[in-house]
Amino acid sequence: MKKKLLSVLLVATMVATMFVGCGSSNEGSNESGSTNEGSGDAAGEYKIAMITDSGDITDMSFNQTTYEASKAFAEANNVDFQYYKPTENSDEARTASFQNAVADGYNVIVVPGYLFAGMIAQVANANPDVKIIALDCGEGDFTEAGMTELPENVCSFTYQEELAGYMAGYAAVKEGYTKLGFLGGMAVPAVIRYGYGFVQGCNDAAVELGNASDVQVNYVYGGQFYGDDAITAQMDTWYSNGTEVVFACGGGIYTSAGEAAKKVDGKVIGVDVDQAGTIDGLYGDGVCVTSAMKGLSATVDATLTDLFAGNWSNYAGKIENLGIVSGTDPALNYVQLPTETWSMTNFTVDDYNTLVSQLYDGTITVDNSIDAMPKTEITVKEFDNIH
Amino acid sequence: MIKKTSFFKRPGVQTLLASILCAILGIILGYIILLFMNSEHAAEGMWAILKNFFKFSNNPNTLMYYLGSTLVKAVPVILCAEAILFAYKAGLFNIGAAGQYTVGIIACLYTSLALGWNWFLCLLAAIVAGAVWGLLAGFFKAFFNVNEVIAGIMLNWIGLYICNIVIGGEKCMNQTKSETFDLFATNPSALLPGFMKEVFGNNQYTTIAIPITIVVAIIILVVLNKTTFGYELKATGHNKDAAKYAGMNAKRNIILTLVISGAISGMAAGLYYLTSIEHYQISSSVPGMGFTGIAVAFLGGLHPLGTIFAGLFVEYITLGGQYLNTNYYNPQVADLMIAIIIYLCGFVLFFKTLINRPGKVKVNANAEPEKTEKKEV
Amino acid sequence: MEDYVIEMLHITKEFPGIIANDDITLQLKRGEIHALLGENGAGKSTLMSVLFGLYTPEKGVIKKDGKEVKINNPNDATDLGIGMVHQHFMLVDIFTVLDNIILGSEPSKMGFLTKAEARKKVMDLSNKYNLKVDPDALIEDITVGMQQRVEILKMLYRDNDILIFDEPTAVLTPQEIDELMKIMKDLAAEGKSILFITHKLNEIMEVADRCSILRKGKYIGTVDVANTTKEELSSMMVGRNVKFAVDKDEAKPGKEVLKVENVSVKSKIHANDSVHNVSFNVRAGEIVCIAGIDGNGQTEFVGALTGLDDISSGKITLCGEDITKKSIRYKNTHGMSHIPEDRHKHGLVLDYTVEENMILQRYFEPAFQSGGIIKKKEMRKYSDRLTEAFDVRSGQGAQSIVRSMSGGNQQKAIVAREMDREHELLIAVQPTRGLDVGAIEYIHKEIVKERDNGKAILLVSLELDEVMNLSDRILVMYEGEIVGEVDPKKTTLQELGLYMSGAKRDNKEEA
Repeated sequence: MKKKLLSVLLVATMVATMFVGCGSSNEGSNESGSTNEGSGDAAGEYKIAMITDSGDITDMSFNQTTYEASKAFAEANNVDFQYYKPTENSDEARTASFQNAVADGYNVIVVPGYLFAGMIAQVANANPDVKIIALDCGEGDFTEAGMTELPENVCSFTYQEELAGYMAGYAAVKEGYTKLGFLGGMAVPAVIRYGYGFVQGCNDAAVELGNASDVQVNYVYGGQFYGDDAITAQMDTWYSNGTEVVFACGGGIYTSAGEAAKKVDGKVIGVDVDQAGTIDGLYGDGVCVTSAMKGLSATVDATLTDLFAGNWSNYAGKIENLGIVSGTDPALNYVQLPTETWSMTNFTVDDYNTLVSQLYDGTITVDNSIDAMPKTEITVKEFDNIH
Repeated sequence: MIKKTSFFKRPGVQTLLASILCAILGIILGYIILLFMNSEHAAEGMWAILKNFFKFSNNPNTLMYYLGSTLVKAVPVILCAEAILFAYKAGLFNIGAAGQYTVGIIACLYTSLALGWNWFLCLLAAIVAGAVWGLLAGFFKAFFNVNEVIAGIMLNWIGLYICNIVIGGEKCMNQTKSETFDLFATNPSALLPGFMKEVFGNNQYTTIAIPITIVVAIIILVVLNKTTFGYELKATGHNKDAAKYAGMNAKRNIILTLVISGAISGMAAGLYYLTSIEHYQISSSVPGMGFTGIAVAFLGGLHPLGTIFAGLFVEYITLGGQYLNTNYYNPQVADLMIAIIIYLCGFVLFFKTLINRPGKVKVNANAEPEKTEKKEV
Repeated sequence: MEDYVIEMLHITKEFPGIIANDDITLQLKRGEIHALLGENGAGKSTLMSVLFGLYTPEKGVIKKDGKEVKINNPNDATDLGIGMVHQHFMLVDIFTVLDNIILGSEPSKMGFLTKAEARKKVMDLSNKYNLKVDPDALIEDITVGMQQRVEILKMLYRDNDILIFDEPTAVLTPQEIDELMKIMKDLAAEGKSILFITHKLNEIMEVADRCSILRKGKYIGTVDVANTTKEELSSMMVGRNVKFAVDKDEAKPGKEVLKVENVSVKSKIHANDSVHNVSFNVRAGEIVCIAGIDGNGQTEFVGALTGLDDISSGKITLCGEDITKKSIRYKNTHGMSHIPEDRHKHGLVLDYTVEENMILQRYFEPAFQSGGIIKKKEMRKYSDRLTEAFDVRSGQGAQSIVRSMSGGNQQKAIVAREMDREHELLIAVQPTRGLDVGAIEYIHKEIVKERDNGKAILLVSLELDEVMNLSDRILVMYEGEIVGEVDPKKTTLQELGLYMSGAKRDNKEEA
């Protein structure tokens, strides 16, 4: 008995000391490491960190794009990069991640998503040396979080999603589809803008084609940014009732649309980034008609480049609303359809270029309000939120 | 030497040893996982988790802030564990603590956000809601002999869906964010009064929830060990036939136990959500608090005060996961590791038996130990 | 040179604070029935645990067939052909007899069970040793005696030739005991060696060849049973002379304390009543005994009387008050004390301390609590007084966990508690079950003292000796009915046996 207990204790103590041993030696190396780096890097040097929102960096959407763009930039410029995942979906946890990143020496923090407004309100003023690049945090979000003015170390970007949605809807109807669907994620402003833009695009194209009475758009929000059985079931119903193409608009929700489409040779329109590779890869070639893209990647890259070039003042304290900046070269715009993976035949790349220039010069205007469904000549059938 | 042995033979000491052993074993296992994932940085990663918020040691304010946050987040885990422990002492396995916690969320968030009550009433509502949920399980157990585990699991899901419906409505939930409104903005009167905020680096979430938790633990300790009620409960828990033989009212005790256990679970929800540190989001699974609470109760040696330390440990490790360097380990590794550590906590009884194995002898021990003892001395 | 199968030589096993086995030698001859006799706590179980490799002794060696062997765990013991029938059977209730026998050494080919062979072997063994069992019956459906046969077959099936019986008769009826004795003799005649752990002297006298006696961890000696007497054995066991007859004067019955009228209890298993239309009374100052073979409704009747089970019809009057529908608590506090049949199930909270058990029915009285807080000092004082008065021994006094105490001391604690509580009626069910002669003698004396103090006593017992020695009136229960009332001084064991087996019954008054 005694012996047994003693041995148990002994093992326990050994283990404990082992850990303390490892730990303390490590702590030493860690600290010396970081201080070395700190002193080696001049004050002007930056270290880039990213914090994820409620999703993960494998969400094939917002977080992933931001992560990849930040990481690529960091590698190209040979600076440290790390991402942080908060323990919970709460302001407190996001703030903790921010503190953690700052304690690790990171001074450029990229945060994707409107959820970060609360965190920025809490930490921005207290950390004037840390630059915060926010994506998709609109003025409304900041106001709600109690911030009327952004401090110098923060900048934010929002997008004219309604333009991207418009282009996708316009293209689809021009391509010849008459039964369309919109599957949003959660009804957040960005998603609503996509959706209402999509409806406007469909409507305008149908009016031009003169088949407005034939075109119908089913419209629903999934209530979450990922697919599940319930959403897939809804999509199955749509496709089996004749829907030809669904604009899957929100994070990973395309999986539900894709699974349903696969069964009946339906089509899907991607969102945020060019999802042709992802969707076709999962659900068969040609399933992805096009994608309504917004230039997250370009934004991150451009902002970081300017920051490194010493041009932070261009952005300091501003919220920029990004959309179409060129009528002649669509690739420069922050809202696009992907031309590299173009698969449409009736609506060609040339038609697309024309559309972009009309949007640029104001021949076509798209309403960006999110208060009510746009008035249309085509039929829009709204469904209750799935979740 | 004899004295030492008797020290180790004390059940309290053995439980403590078993718990520490469990925790250490969990940490070793976690370390092994890290080794498999990326051996080069395993020690560094483990150290980051163990060092936790002490990484802010050069900034005492931040350090205290995150100590405060850890305490705040440990409150519901500890209280759920207390609830489970309390029922367990009476021989009831209150797996329904998760559901009682969930209805506690409904009550405190609805009263605070939709009805605009003040914190005391909101907290009371959470306690009452949890108690009612416990009463349901107790009622079925006492009068229809429905196993409290089955009833508990059913009620967990019923609670969850009611919660999603009630709290998911426009009165409580910010529809664009899909989470409940922030109490700071909508109804500050429902926020629990602060507690030593200055000490905890002006942490706006440190509230009286922390001292209340300790008081609740002490009350449970006293009730179980000093009162006739605790005497009855434990007797029923150890041997319900003997309790019946002694004339104790089994039905009443079953119901009362689950009501109290439920009330504590409900209080756990109130003391957490009324700090507004986290907002409720529509969930497709029952909150894990009630289940983690089971592991914590066992890790705490089924002792009301031990549970406090166990809860702090589990929460400390849980929050430690975020300090892993994501360049070497993805955050899921941290989750996995923590899950394993918590899982191992449930093994305390097993380890205790292991340490205690030679102790079986006591059954055969002679009725006259005093004489032999004298001989040895 | 004697032919010993198993020798345990100079075994010493110490536990902190206690020497459980002090230089004990036990030698088992081939083909003999060797009794191991000792009081509860004498060290028998420890010695057997050493033989089974559960404990490693500090000193001493074990030899099999003259060769020294190391036994580190129960599997080693099984490999050496040692098998044991435990006091509490190790059977799976919902398996059949056959499945239980082969459990753990299932015959299989390529992972599939081949039960046919096993069945043949079991049936052969069953015939050879006259151990009749139905191989396809479920354990939960057969009697305790049958279950014990299954345990014996289990050992034989594994080709064990050293068989250990741990207090095998404690759970059996007199008839079953007789059968078991015969089986043991047959087994020995077939060359099996049997170690028979018991403290019942009659059984040793009947079957054993030799007997080794332990007392308080020490080896007292080994005797040939043929050359000894019960008195000699018992004095070796307890260290003094023990009286088997109970000294008592004539009963002086007083007023009626308990009156039972037409009580019936519905059976939980089948449609009939398990207790049917029972009526009798118990007066102050007399011991009335309900005798009968186990399972004839005594347990159910006591359950109805005390309130542990529901009563379906009839009336129970205690001291003139109708208590038929009263709660257990009410009965407890209005003159009823109850020494329950199963001390582990009902009588004690095993994980409570002695002192906590002492106030099991009284914790709510103002003497032991105020404002809901238990008065620990009062509890301690009370417990100390009782343990001293009734000589309850335990390791750490009032704070000992009851589970760690010997069965005799546990029972004494219950007796102390029930006799000290204010009561007019004492219901004592099997009060000496599983106890050694010293403890039995003590408890019998206490019960007689109770009677002489003017209490009414209802004794329910399966032990015929106890029934004959202790009671003033005997009621025999058979299949839920009282079939006869006899005077112990005027009856014989044979007559009692006829009543108990249903072969004889008094004419009912109303019939």
